[in-house]
Amino acid sequence: MNRLLVIGNGMTAHRLVEELRSRDRGNRWRITVLGEEQHDAYNRIALTDRLRGVPEAKLTLRALDEDPMLEVRTSTRAAGIDRPAHEVVTAGGERIPYDALVLATGATPARPPLPGAEARGCHVYRTLDDVNAIREAAESGGDRTAVVVGGGLLGLETAEALHRHLRVRTHVVEAARHLMPTQLDGAAAELLATSLNETGIRLNEGKGLLSVETNRSGEATGITLTDETSIRADLVVFTAGTRPRDDLAADADLPRGDRGGYLVNEDCRTPDPAIWAIGDCAAIHGTRTGTAAPGYHMAATVAGHLLNTPEPPPPLSPAEPSTVLKLPGVDVASMGNPHAKPADAIELTYTHPAPTPRYAKLILDPEANTLQAAILLGHPTAYPRLHALIGQELPAPAEQLLT
Amino acid sequence: MRLRRRGGTAGTAGTAGDATTGTGTRARIVVVGGGPVGHRVAERLRHHGHEGPVTLLDAEPGPAYHRVLLPALLDGSLTPADLHLPDLNRLPGVPGMPDVTVRHGVSAAGIDRRRQEVRTTEHDRLPYDTLVLATGARPHLPPVPGLRHASGWLIDGVTGLRSRTDCARVRGEEIVVLGGGPLGVEAAAALRRAGRRVTLVHPGPYPLDDRLDAGAGEVLTRHLAGLGVGLELGRIAAEVRPGKLALDDEWLLPWDTLLCCTGVRPRTRLAEAAGLAVRSGVLVDAEGRTSDPAVRAVGDCAEPGGSLYDGWEQAERVARSLTGGSAPHGTAARRPVFRLRVPGLTLGVLGDGKGEAGDEIVTYRDAARGRYARISLDAEGRLRAAVVTGLPQALATLTQLYAADTPLPESRLALLLGRPAPRGGPLPELPPEAVVCRCNNVTKGALASAWEEGARTQEALVEATRATTGCGSCTDDIKVLCREFAEVGS
Repeated sequence: MNRLLVIGNGMTAHRLVEELRSRDRGNRWRITVLGEEQHDAYNRIALTDRLRGVPEAKLTLRALDEDPMLEVRTSTRAAGIDRPAHEVVTAGGERIPYDALVLATGATPARPPLPGAEARGCHVYRTLDDVNAIREAAESGGDRTAVVVGGGLLGLETAEALHRHLRVRTHVVEAARHLMPTQLDGAAAELLATSLNETGIRLNEGKGLLSVETNRSGEATGITLTDETSIRADLVVFTAGTRPRDDLAADADLPRGDRGGYLVNEDCRTPDPAIWAIGDCAAIHGTRTGTAAPGYHMAATVAGHLLNTPEPPPPLSPAEPSTVLKLPGVDVASMGNPHAKPADAIELTYTHPAPTPRYAKLILDPEANTLQAAILLGHPTAYPRLHALIGQELPAPAEQLLT
Repeated sequence: MRLRRRGGTAGTAGTAGDATTGTGTRARIVVVGGGPVGHRVAERLRHHGHEGPVTLLDAEPGPAYHRVLLPALLDGSLTPADLHLPDLNRLPGVPGMPDVTVRHGVSAAGIDRRRQEVRTTEHDRLPYDTLVLATGARPHLPPVPGLRHASGWLIDGVTGLRSRTDCARVRGEEIVVLGGGPLGVEAAAALRRAGRRVTLVHPGPYPLDDRLDAGAGEVLTRHLAGLGVGLELGRIAAEVRPGKLALDDEWLLPWDTLLCCTGVRPRTRLAEAAGLAVRSGVLVDAEGRTSDPAVRAVGDCAEPGGSLYDGWEQAERVARSLTGGSAPHGTAARRPVFRLRVPGLTLGVLGDGKGEAGDEIVTYRDAARGRYARISLDAEGRLRAAVVTGLPQALATLTQLYAADTPLPESRLALLLGRPAPRGGPLPELPPEAVVCRCNNVTKGALASAWEEGARTQEALVEATRATTGCGSCTDDIKVLCREFAEVGS
């Protein structure tokens, strides 16, 4: 019997175990999972639901416990890899042997290196504990004001939950010129900003964070922006950016991608044939991803290799990376990376300002036949349709596809 | 069709006139100004059956010509003869009418309104029943230091572009064009094609910025740059020195000719001297009447005036009014169409190009091929305004739809590309390979198989495929598919 050790107990690690256990008919692999967090694996994408008040249990992923081939050890952090000995050393000094090792350590949220960013009242947003702490802070005391730093998908979901469900006065700070700069263009972002403004969320676009102000007892009291305006706040949530957790690489002498992450090939294998990396901590030929779909794809790929059935899982849709933001009164989606369009692509936009704003941008091939990417705002039913059509010829007038 | 009053049937029409306002088909009409609009007035008077004497004073040596085509003389793409307007005395379809007396090189020196006489620059007097002022506009030159001598005369090499004479003033190799309006752009492109070194100086972010949005402006800018026209955008002239122009960023441009295409002002001196009401132009009513009902004004000298379309429509209205006809149903002025005349570049503006707040906006951008369109539609899908570059067929179709004021067909893309519209009808179903749950890469086909294998509820489908267990945004789509599968099954 072979020993598989998985470092990390997030969504991708969970998927790997699930794939392996459902396909490993001969019980070839005995699996140990080391989870740094105290919780069982949970749906990280649904953390905003937790912020909105959904109970923790609802987020928990399918339990895999009763399986004699599987041991999940929570609250256990891996501190190092002893490659010659084929052992992982935990923070507690325990040595765990492996035949195959999968790194699924995920990513760590970026806390800006600015004055006051470590103060009490400042939070990052990545784990269940982070979100529980934010919830607690928002619910303690009456009249609270929060600043969410980062106007991306996560920042806006967080802002909406704080504002609507936790009744906190909420500001959003986005350093780029407009909200969701990775996914949207200026026109869509402007309509989104209008809708958010109407709900009462205050937006500060095109301004960076300069510092977090603190009082004498070390609590955050507000922030100052790069244009020197100040916002008073008790709660600051950093949602802008993550870094791959690749800190085991250095001591183990494993290579990293230029922009971080364990460097792996298309099979998710590091140069050490016994070690693999999947999910947010992996950099396939140097390219990182940060969403569930590619992580799951990597998990399935590795499961196949471990079982010597390396036929690749179904390819990811050409619409990936795709993003959906569903907030009351606003539906925003982007698919197929609208910013990576080739110079000879054709852009088609449709704007209906009234009665409810709708906007669509379709990016087509140079012959204006094939859909390559799209941005949608206020077209909730068109999303699955267009998502399916990325990489394909438009079968009907775009106007009809958008209805 | 309207009956035209003409020659033999004019007996009754002749008495329809009103002695006090000088109408009637036998009245003496003097037109001052031989530009396109003055010329059109004389032509339409004959067309509508005016038999009385018509005298046209044209300060230029003649024959009358199409002023907007002047830039095409600069590169020889048109010859002077191509610009000529039709001979007023050989008009097709208007036989048997007395000649219009056209006096080239003569203009009006003054108006004696009491005696209803025009004094000419040749010192004779022309009595009129109706006087039509079509004195047009003169180039407006910017108040840049150094442009004029102390005497007020322009320094050598500086000119506007308003007449054939002005075209002949464009000399030398280095040409600086001030002003990126239609005239400046067309002149710069023509001079460049003629092999001159040309720099266009324009205060806006791109040429024609009062008519175009940024998308079309980018195409135009690239086209001009591709021709080799130097562009100084966002710049104004700070000081003119002989042979040198200093910009506001202190950059110096050499010139042999400094061509000022910086707008025009109505020529109103004659009207003002005669005591007519003048604001920026000669004030007129809908039928061109000035404050003196015996005097009309049309075209660029009138207020309201405006585009050439306005001028033509005014000419038609005045001619009809003077021949007792009814007002035309003209829509040209209210549905204006602008086309830039630069060979090799299609660029058109319908309406004001912008449309109104609340309009549906469709844009098309093919940057690599210099194609761009922005169309603005009202709630019924009728074209309110459009800017089109690089799509000649689309511009032609849109122009027709705009003139006819009919709703656009559903596929704007097919319309813009000049393609047959793709089939309409019911929406195509999602193909089986369509990914429904993005997080778990679950296709519609996988969901259908799970359904076939007995997962007949939403929960069972989720259990079997993991769909919805990521971001959850596909939950509604799974519900819809569940219903679809159930319908197909039953």
